[in-house]
Amino acid sequence: MTNKEKYKQAFSTMHISDEFSLEVKKMTTTSNNKPKLNRLVASIAACVLIVGCATVAYATDFCGIQRTLQLWINGDQTDVTIQFDGNGNYNMNYIDAEGDSKNRGGSGVFIEDDGTERPLTDDELIEEITAPDVQYEDNGSVWVYWFDQKIDITDKFENNVCYIKLVKGEETLYMTVKYQNGYATAPDRYQSPSSFN
Amino acid sequence: MREPIDVLIDKYKNNLFVIAFNVCKNIQDAEDVVQDTYIQYISIKKDFESEQHIRAWLIRVAINKAKNKNMTFFRRNTLPLEDYMETLTFESPESSELFETVMKLPEKYRVIIHLFYYEDYSIKEISNILNISESNVKVKLSRGRMLLKNTLKEVWEDDE
Repeated sequence: MTNKEKYKQAFSTMHISDEFSLEVKKMTTTSNNKPKLNRLVASIAACVLIVGCATVAYATDFCGIQRTLQLWINGDQTDVTIQFDGNGNYNMNYIDAEGDSKNRGGSGVFIEDDGTERPLTDDELIEEITAPDVQYEDNGSVWVYWFDQKIDITDKFENNVCYIKLVKGEETLYMTVKYQNGYATAPDRYQSPSSFN
Repeated sequence: MREPIDVLIDKYKNNLFVIAFNVCKNIQDAEDVVQDTYIQYISIKKDFESEQHIRAWLIRVAINKAKNKNMTFFRRNTLPLEDYMETLTFESPESSELFETVMKLPEKYRVIIHLFYYEDYSIKEISNILNISESNVKVKLSRGRMLLKNTLKEVWEDDE
């Protein structure tokens, strides 16, 4: 017997439980019909939101509440495990569409009218994570991701600024993107490029 | 191309379960990983080049999800490996010894050994699945084999 034959013989004794197929078929059917996460439209008139985001390697010492959610990441509905530390910081793990394991972390504070700061709540952080995102690909293309939408905005820039209206059901967002220099959204009108960054 | 989920479940559930167990060493976590892997398949819009591409993608996702599982706070109650092995019916004492020896290897060797000997993947294919260099795969495969040989002696042939 070759090593491969011996190895296969040893491991072929393992079988997933008989109920698995039925359970997972039921789960996958249910998953197809899962309602999408509703994102609340944040009012940006009376507040300023500062959210930091950074890629981190591992955060095994990160303490706090862990939640598993299904979020839209780069246009794909993705199971995400997020740990919140209760101080406006999060660390999340997910497997992207290419099958790669990703780890991302970030933090945010909310600045009240009177200038006082408080850490973002878990729900506010989730809201920020699911906010529209702009990505610059290696091939030079520029994409906006928002829930299941992937929009190529590469050719929509004029004087390094792009205006794009995002619609999802009854929700509308007006997005202003400055080429490689940030972006802003608002529910009622386009933000002036000079008003941010 | 896409394959119906029913077909993929029937075709790969055991392979994904074994590879997930290889990483998690826990049958409940391994089953969760397989379930999550299939859910991820139906959640994404990715178009695959071939059936082999789908198989490799499923294995890659299962391995990554299993590794993530090992890092999370909430692990299922783990059944000791020895207890789980008692529930398995091995064809020979050598099979049982081989199984136990593999499961005692460090994870970095175990997964590569498994992809090579169980899934019949080449070094290049393993390198693509794990997203590491071919030379890295070769080194880990060689070290894994050496550890197996040291413990299993004549049960394991010298096949480098």
